Amino acid sequence: MLMTGDQYIESLRKLNTRVYMFGEKIDNWVDHPIIRPSINCLAMTYELAKDPQYADLMTAKSNLTGQTINRFAHLHQSTDDLKKKVKMQRLLGQKTASCFQRCVGMDAFNAVFSTTYEIDQKCGTNYHKNFTEYLKYVQENDLTVDGAMTDAKGDRGLSPSQQKDPDVFVHIVERRADGIVVKGVKVHQTGSINSHEHLVMPTMALSEADKDFAVSFSCPSDAPGLFMVYGRQSCDTRKLEDGADVDLGNRKFGGQEALVVFDNVFVPNENIYLCGEAEFAGVMVERFAGYHRQSYGGCKVGVGDVVIGAAALAADYNGASKASHVKDKLIEMTHLNETLYCCGIACSSEGYPTAAGNYQIDLLLANVCKQNVTRFPYEIVRLAEDIAGGLMVTMPSEKDFKSDLVCGENGETLGDICNKYFVGSAVCSTEDRMRILRFLENICLGSSAVGYRTESMHGAGSPQAQRIMIARQGNIESKKQLAKNIAGIK
Amino acid sequence: MPTREPLHCGVRFCGGCNPRYERIKALEELKSRLNGKASFSFAEEGASYDVLLVIGGCPNCCASYEQYEAVRGAIKVWDESHIEGASSKIEILLMEDETSGLEKNL
Repeated sequence: MLMTGDQYIESLRKLNTRVYMFGEKIDNWVDHPIIRPSINCLAMTYELAKDPQYADLMTAKSNLTGQTINRFAHLHQSTDDLKKKVKMQRLLGQKTASCFQRCVGMDAFNAVFSTTYEIDQKCGTNYHKNFTEYLKYVQENDLTVDGAMTDAKGDRGLSPSQQKDPDVFVHIVERRADGIVVKGVKVHQTGSINSHEHLVMPTMALSEADKDFAVSFSCPSDAPGLFMVYGRQSCDTRKLEDGADVDLGNRKFGGQEALVVFDNVFVPNENIYLCGEAEFAGVMVERFAGYHRQSYGGCKVGVGDVVIGAAALAADYNGASKASHVKDKLIEMTHLNETLYCCGIACSSEGYPTAAGNYQIDLLLANVCKQNVTRFPYEIVRLAEDIAGGLMVTMPSEKDFKSDLVCGENGETLGDICNKYFVGSAVCSTEDRMRILRFLENICLGSSAVGYRTESMHGAGSPQAQRIMIARQGNIESKKQLAKNIAGIK
Repeated sequence: MPTREPLHCGVRFCGGCNPRYERIKALEELKSRLNGKASFSFAEEGASYDVLLVIGGCPNCCASYEQYEAVRGAIKVWDESHIEGASSKIEILLMEDETSGLEKNL
């Protein structure tokens, strides 16, 4: 049953999710002005699924139940599904100009589904059935799930079992007949507070000595012992200002990351998908990372579409749109953005079926995609700032523009002065010019820069992680042979 | 004089990830051109349509529509300039209906 956006928001109120921010417990986090924009983003993933204009991308037919489900809960059944995933993400990036948070769950579903199948084949475990039943529950109830991978990691030079405090990696602290007890944290968790459930995976490949850290499971976001600490963002307290609107740049939407703490959380056997089979930790991580690196070829492109549009509007409003260098910069931004999209579509088109039946992306191309994402959005915002001009960071506040305070010799108000001197082209009002510049400020260095810049750098793995995968998949020996053949070397 | 039944069109949009034109406006334009001679509703599985109108936002026109039943096939549109052609195709189908109706009466 597909939920509407409003039903999704109401469903969050029914959870007893424990949330902390600025040193306090936040009881009504659903309506908190700092958190709500990120909930609005997720609500959009529900709203668009109900709209016939977008349903072809936003929904799919479940291979498990035969029902129409939100694509975010879907197991990819073809390369067409993989491509539609990327297109859906582009669409949502366009509609929110933010991270809409639901991809981590989708990528986790597909990674855990195929990995559990292979674990069961080798180890005779029951994880795949466990997971399939869980995913049916998610699909039937149209739930949002946080795919939780990144551990705190402590000393990066030490393995999990060598850490002074083992809790820096999520691990099993007790094995019972009916389940396990886990402890530790997952960091940088996108949309975790806004999720109904958490699907936890290991953070990296593990050896037998680290088998207690080889654990995958699901639990409700309000499970006893589970709580979250909201990650603050640049300029976040602007959202707390009275009547905040123009100065926010993006009043309605935003991203969210949080620290998720598992403080001795009990997980029943039916929700366990990996429990000590260390050799499969790396497989699960690699698959999740691969899907998630594909994802960035969609979501960041959609946000990029909005950034390019905003830069073009800023040029119009500044009266600079006819300048050849401005036109050329917009071309360059478009070229960079569409290159990312090419990568997302390419790694999807070259996908293939796993043993479990769902489709996997081409790993080399997905890593190339994400490697480009670590660079191109930075260049796109650099060009956007270039076109916008310094005013995007030096402009007085919205309150100044709207102030009735008399300050001029002839009785002009502060608002009169601001509106007089910040006027641009006749095609726009001063307020509209201010709005587009504040949007660019927000995406380039405000709260949305978390999603568009640093998340592009480190989300789904930092640049070096992709370079390791590119090195493994690059087929250098075959390329050497090609060169030998041409050069006549035997 | 018998009233002609409007042609029943099921409408399926692509997902709209990067449409080159306003797809909804294009549908409204088509409705306006046909002036009530065809009825339009969003395609649903299990329903039967005379014809399926697939509206894509770009030449890829990637909307899935195999799951829908349309007796007289699908008409694809992926550019504003296709509206006139889609309108003509529907008019032709309506004329064929009239002709076949006359033949039956004779």
